[in-house]
Parts: sequence; C-alpha cells; structure tokens
Amino acid sequence: MELICVGLNHRTAPVEVREKFAVAPSKLGDAANELREKTGVQEAVVISTCNRTELYVLGGDDSIASLQTILGGAEHCYHSKRMDAAVHLCRVASGLDSMVLGETEIFGQVKDAYQAALSAGATGGTLNRLFQKTFSIGKKVRTETGIQEGATSIGNVAVDLAEKIFGHLKDSEVMILGAGEMSRVTAQSLQSRGARSIFVANRSYDRALELAQKMNGHAVRFDDWQLVLAQVDVVIGSTGAPHTIVQKADVEAVRRKRKYRPLFFIDIAVPRDIDPAVEEIEEVYLYDIDTLEQIAGEARTQRARQIEICEEMIRAELVKMQLPGM
Amino acid sequence: MNGRVMEKWMLLISTLLALGGAIWGGVSVHRGLRTYWTLALMAGAFVAQLVFMEQRGQMRGACPLRDLGEILVFLAWSLTGFYLLVGRPYRLSLVGLFTAPVVVVFQIIALSPGVMEVAPQRSLGVDAWREAHSAVSVLAYGAFALAAVTGVMFLVLDHQLKEHHLQSGLFRNLPPARELLAAVRRLLLIGFILLTVGIIAGLLMSHRGGWSHLITAVAVWVCYGLLLIVQLTWGMTGRRLSLAAVVLFLLSLGVFALV
Repeated sequence: MELICVGLNHRTAPVEVREKFAVAPSKLGDAANELREKTGVQEAVVISTCNRTELYVLGGDDSIASLQTILGGAEHCYHSKRMDAAVHLCRVASGLDSMVLGETEIFGQVKDAYQAALSAGATGGTLNRLFQKTFSIGKKVRTETGIQEGATSIGNVAVDLAEKIFGHLKDSEVMILGAGEMSRVTAQSLQSRGARSIFVANRSYDRALELAQKMNGHAVRFDDWQLVLAQVDVVIGSTGAPHTIVQKADVEAVRRKRKYRPLFFIDIAVPRDIDPAVEEIEEVYLYDIDTLEQIAGEARTQRARQIEICEEMIRAELVKMQLPGM
Repeated sequence: MNGRVMEKWMLLISTLLALGGAIWGGVSVHRGLRTYWTLALMAGAFVAQLVFMEQRGQMRGACPLRDLGEILVFLAWSLTGFYLLVGRPYRLSLVGLFTAPVVVVFQIIALSPGVMEVAPQRSLGVDAWREAHSAVSVLAYGAFALAAVTGVMFLVLDHQLKEHHLQSGLFRNLPPARELLAAVRRLLLIGFILLTVGIIAGLLMSHRGGWSHLITAVAVWVCYGLLLIVQLTWGMTGRRLSLAAVVLFLLSLGVFALV
C-alpha cells in the first residue's frame, strides 16, 4: 500500500470539467467513504475547491487508473505517488499550487476536507499522520517564509495602503468617483475592512444610486463631489472621463476644512481621474493604476522567489516524518 | 560593591541593554520580522536606570537632578518610561527601535568623563518645590522626547508613502500614519500638562541662581502651548506637526544648559 494522489486543477482542466467533479463541502466525508467502497483503497480524503478536486488515498498501484476514471479519465488528471504525493499535498495546503500564490483560504479548505473524512471514518493511521504533519508544515511555511508577504492584486494593494495610512478603517470614509466594477470591488474591500461609509458619485445619478444601495452607502450628484471631499479620507477614481476630474485646486479648497488630515487618492482610471499635481499637497498620498500594479507585481515576484525555499522546507519536514506508504 | 561603583555599573548595563534593543530591533526590522526583544531589553534598561537613580538619590539625599549627567539619565528614564507606558498600549511597538538610540546617546553623554560628578555632595536642605519642579519638568521633557521620536517615525513613513518605497522591512513594521500622529498629539499634550505643573513649582521654589533657567522654561512652555493651540484649532499637516515636535524638542534641550 502506498500514498497516491490523483486530481485535476485550474491548470489541467477548464472550469466546465472542474465543475463536473466538484464535491460540495457537506458531501466530502461521504465522497471519501464512497471512494473506499468503489476502489477498495484503505484510506481516503477528498479535497474539492473551485480550482481543484483531489483524491488522496492509501491504496495499491492499480488504484491510480480507477481514481482517474472517477475524475473523468486521464485527459485532465495528474497523479503522484509516495513522497511526491505528500509534497504535493503540502504545496497545496501552503498555497504554493494556488492560482494566487500564497493565498490562505486553501489551508482552511484542506483542513475541512480532512475533518470531514476523519468524521466519516474514511481515514486511518497513515493519512491522519500525513494531514496533521501537512498542517504543521503549512503553518511553518507561512510564518517562516515570505510566501504570504505583500498584496498581489491592485485592490488588495490599495486596501493595505489605506490601512498603512489610517490604521483601522472604522473611522474612515470613502468616496468613489465613477460607478465602475473596479471601483466597486476596491470600495467593497475597504468596506470589508471596516470603512465607515461609502459615497458614490457618478455622472448618471441613477447608477450612483444603484451602486450606493448595493453597498449600503450614499449616492452623490456628480456636481457635488467637491462638497463630500471635505469629509472623506479615501477617494477612488474610476470614471471613464477623457480628462482629469480632481484638480489640485479642488483639494486646496478643502484643506482647511479638513484640518489638513491625510487624504488617500486611488486612481484606477485610464485616462487618469486625479491630476498628478494633487500629490504635491503635503497630506495627500496619490497612487495611480500603474503604481498599484507595479507594487502588486513586485509582491508576486517576491512570492515566486520563495517557492524554492518553501519546497526545501516541505521536503525536509516530510523526510523527518518517515511515514509508511511514502 | 559600594554605591559609587554600582551606580556606574547600573548606568553602563542600562546603556548596553538599550543598545542591544536598538541593534536587535534594527536587525529584526531589516529582516521584516516582529520582535518583542526590544521591549524586553528596554524594560531591563528601565529597571537599571531606576537602580542607578536610587543610588544617586541616596548619595544626594535628594532627587538626583543636580548635574547634567543626572538630568540626562533622568530624561532617558522618563523617555523609556513613556515608551513602555504609551508605546505598547497603542500598538506602537516600533517606537522602541527609535527610542533606544536616543536613550543610548543620552546615557553615553552622561557616562562621559566630567559630565556627572564622581562624588556627589549631599544636599543640606531640600526645597520640596525645587524637587517637584525638577522631577516633573524632566518627566515633561521625556514626553516631548517621545513625541519627537514618534514624529521622526511619521516623517520616515510619510516619505516612504510619498515616494512609493513600500518594500522595506521598516515600512512593513511602521505603525499607521494616523496612529503615529495621534501619539504625537497625545504626548505633546501630556508633556505640556507636566511642564505646566513643573513651571508652577518652579515659580514657588527659591531662586538662588537667578531666573534665566525659569524664563527659558516658560519660553519652551509657550512654544509648545502655541503648537497645541494651532494644531487643535486650525489643524496642521502631519509633516509640519512632526517637524515642529522634533525641532522644538531639540531647541528645548537648551534649557538644561542653564541649569
């Protein structure tokens, strides 16, 4: 009996294939038991997320073919055995195999999948030890390497910067100029981190009203955004205007009323909404889409550099374990 | 070990602990790691400062604030104390990294030959107002010193945010700008209240050595008062408030030259 992993993920299978083999979180335990009954493997854990479905079993050499059949045949599947399978599991749990390198959600999903299989009685000594070790390795990788460092998307960079300037966002107010998708996502991220209120200003007041209602915020007529500027802390510009909307004079006009508090401009519009001269004002921090993308790119590169270190750490830890079946 | 030898050792130990805190904190920040060792080392430095001042107080038979060396150590102790009191609860853990070098500089000057009396004379009579004036005023300067340290931290963060230099370990570890500015304002207010009490006590004490020291102290009090009024009434950019806190503190050190 040896450790075997068979699976498909976002790199090997398109979404229309992945969705066919996705297992609901509440069914993961039953799926693991069903796997044991159908293929005769001793132990089984089924991991299923939007990006992957993977089967970890303790079985014989002939198990691979039957597991591939369960996942629709060999065309979209990958498989690994023994140490390689254990390394793969640790890479998955540590976010090294994720679409967004180093993301943390997968760790919880693997944990839930194992817990479901354990509760259903589908695991035994080998997979129990392997998964416990995987979780401790996952934690070690996250805390001792830079795999999680930095924000890797424009929205997250903007939110991290807002927190660097304002700390807890519960006392911060946000204004969106332009009711586009990108500004909505960024504002929602700020709201999820506690931003107190959101103001939406858009050339079409109906669109502003619609988005404001969705976000539990306030709609502002586009001619009135200067009035709101005096009270907000963060301004997200994402209109489709062919010229800049916020001029240096607009900010100068409200500085006194704002008592010179810090003001953070996130300009994700192309062409830009905020005149670059605005940044000359002492208390203003201005980040345009190129700067935000550059910061996100640097974080992605930084994370990619950590992969080798993480893999060495995973192998060293697994070797120490000396698990039967590996 | 007699008192005279021990107090020197305590000051040396305190300086080394603060130096250790500065170096360890710097290395950790460079590596992008959080550390509690700076806090622990600064707490150790604080205890050693206390023992030093207790020894000097025993020798003097009064509050140990009679020569420049004693004043600098008292100031370093006050700065460390405010860091331990104010820095931690407000999640300003990195303040220790910026505070420790200032403490080291003050104490190295105090340890330099000729700065502190080797055999301090015992005070014959103790003027309670003079003791209160000295102690509370130096405590006030401790708060002003930490306001200046926090101001420097804001200026560093502000520069990095403005220039988009966001990859350093220092940037990742610096507290948010708004929290730094709130700490500067809070410390300036605490310092101002303490200095007010110190000056009132100074007006009530006997003035054998003239009034120049007290006049300078009042000038410092007026400057800090004006800064607070401007900040509270009209507001001020973070950069200007921080620069004012740093410059005023450096200028106010001139008061000690007139002790």
